[in-house]
Amino acid sequence: MANLRESSDKALKLLRTLPRVQIGNLRPNPNSKQNDKRGRAQHGGDKHGAGNKGSGQRQNFMRLGYETGNQPFYLRFPYEPYYKGHHLRRQYPPLSLLQLQVLIDTNRIDISQPIDIATICNSGLLTLKPAELEYGFQLTDHGLDNFKAKINIEVQHASEAVIAAVERNGGVIRTAYYDPRCLHILANPKKFFQKGVPIPKRMLPPQDAVAYYTDAKNRGYLANPEEISKERLVLAQKYGYELPRIEEDPQYEMLTAAKDGRQLFYGLEPGWLINLVDKVIVKPKET
Amino acid sequence: MNKISCAFIRILQHSNSYGGATVLGRQLSYKSDLSLDKIYPNVRLQLYTPPPPPSDGDKFNGYVPMDKLEITYSRSSGPGGQHVNTVNTKVDVRFKLAEAKWIPDKTRAKLLKALQNKITKEGYFCIKSDLTRSQQLNLADALEKLRAIIRAQEVEAASPSEETLEKIRRRQEKAARQRLQLKRGRAQVKADRQGPSAVDF
Repeated sequence: MANLRESSDKALKLLRTLPRVQIGNLRPNPNSKQNDKRGRAQHGGDKHGAGNKGSGQRQNFMRLGYETGNQPFYLRFPYEPYYKGHHLRRQYPPLSLLQLQVLIDTNRIDISQPIDIATICNSGLLTLKPAELEYGFQLTDHGLDNFKAKINIEVQHASEAVIAAVERNGGVIRTAYYDPRCLHILANPKKFFQKGVPIPKRMLPPQDAVAYYTDAKNRGYLANPEEISKERLVLAQKYGYELPRIEEDPQYEMLTAAKDGRQLFYGLEPGWLINLVDKVIVKPKET
Repeated sequence: MNKISCAFIRILQHSNSYGGATVLGRQLSYKSDLSLDKIYPNVRLQLYTPPPPPSDGDKFNGYVPMDKLEITYSRSSGPGGQHVNTVNTKVDVRFKLAEAKWIPDKTRAKLLKALQNKITKEGYFCIKSDLTRSQQLNLADALEKLRAIIRAQEVEAASPSEETLEKIRRRQEKAARQRLQLKRGRAQVKADRQGPSAVDF
């Protein structure tokens, strides 16, 4: 309401200073005048817009898509097997190491905190569209050679070379699964908290993804942590770098901070209700 | 809400821990049914750096100490425009083969013999790689080549079986028999070209 009053006040102010409104001062309004469609006289007569010969002039129109006898395009393909199961195929929009390095260098992402989907989406430069079957980000190897940041990052897919690039710099990378409801929440956490709904639990990955997320080679969040430590050495040997001693890093606690398998946000448990207005967390009673 | 829970919440709000809060010095991280200590009991949950694997005696265990290798980078050859002209993607890995204690002694001796024409005057054996567009992937390729060379020396060539040896012997004997048969035949032909001699009458 206040906006409307402001704009009408502005309009009235303008009216007091501008010259008198007359027909000569007005701007033409496009599409306000329609030309008369007369099927007679010089421009409307003769063939009356029907062209020459053919089905068009003889008013015997062919149906849409008809190709004068040959099999029309819209009937040529009885089935399209490449679309089978397309509604089940998960997509992982890419985030290259180069992009990530730029984001870190321009202070869009704070590397003193663990990075996850919420961090990346909160930077404002990348969006996730879970409704279009985007199940999270994949870290790609573009910019592999120049990646220099030490981070604790959680993505949904990463190749071996990318994992090596992150671990070479003393960082930690993890791949984790989020179900669609949780993805919607993480893509815009503020919007979710404003709803006043308790934080839900994260669900397990679908059957075809379980093998990926329980494999230490992929640094899966459900993989054996001891195997992951061993695989770090294996990868360091494969890619030819000295594995940095992460236990001696002063940021060890931050780098090894990991969410639980059912947790959505760092430091917040499922079931908690965040009240942003009163700045209070409401927790369920112990049963 | 009573005073104790209020106090807890205030502490949680001010806590700057990541996985969970620290109250009274103890970690209060959230543990659900999917927490790793429940899925993998009796396992070291904290990330650590394992020591290099122990040497297997005579067999090369695959471990290459990176500080013992001298790695240099240079520009690669071939097409590629500005990228190949400006970025150092070629990898050169060198080390003194005679002093490489990380290779088992027997294998090292075999390698010195097999690679004697490839070792430089100073005793360096060098491996180069410019397979890919990425320096790191080329380094991985160079190390893979190195490991393959070392492992090739340890593989003992399978000796032929008794059946194979028997087959070879029989083939050789047959070849000899046929050759002699042909020879005798030709000799008879030549002898027949001569007229009858006193012996024949």
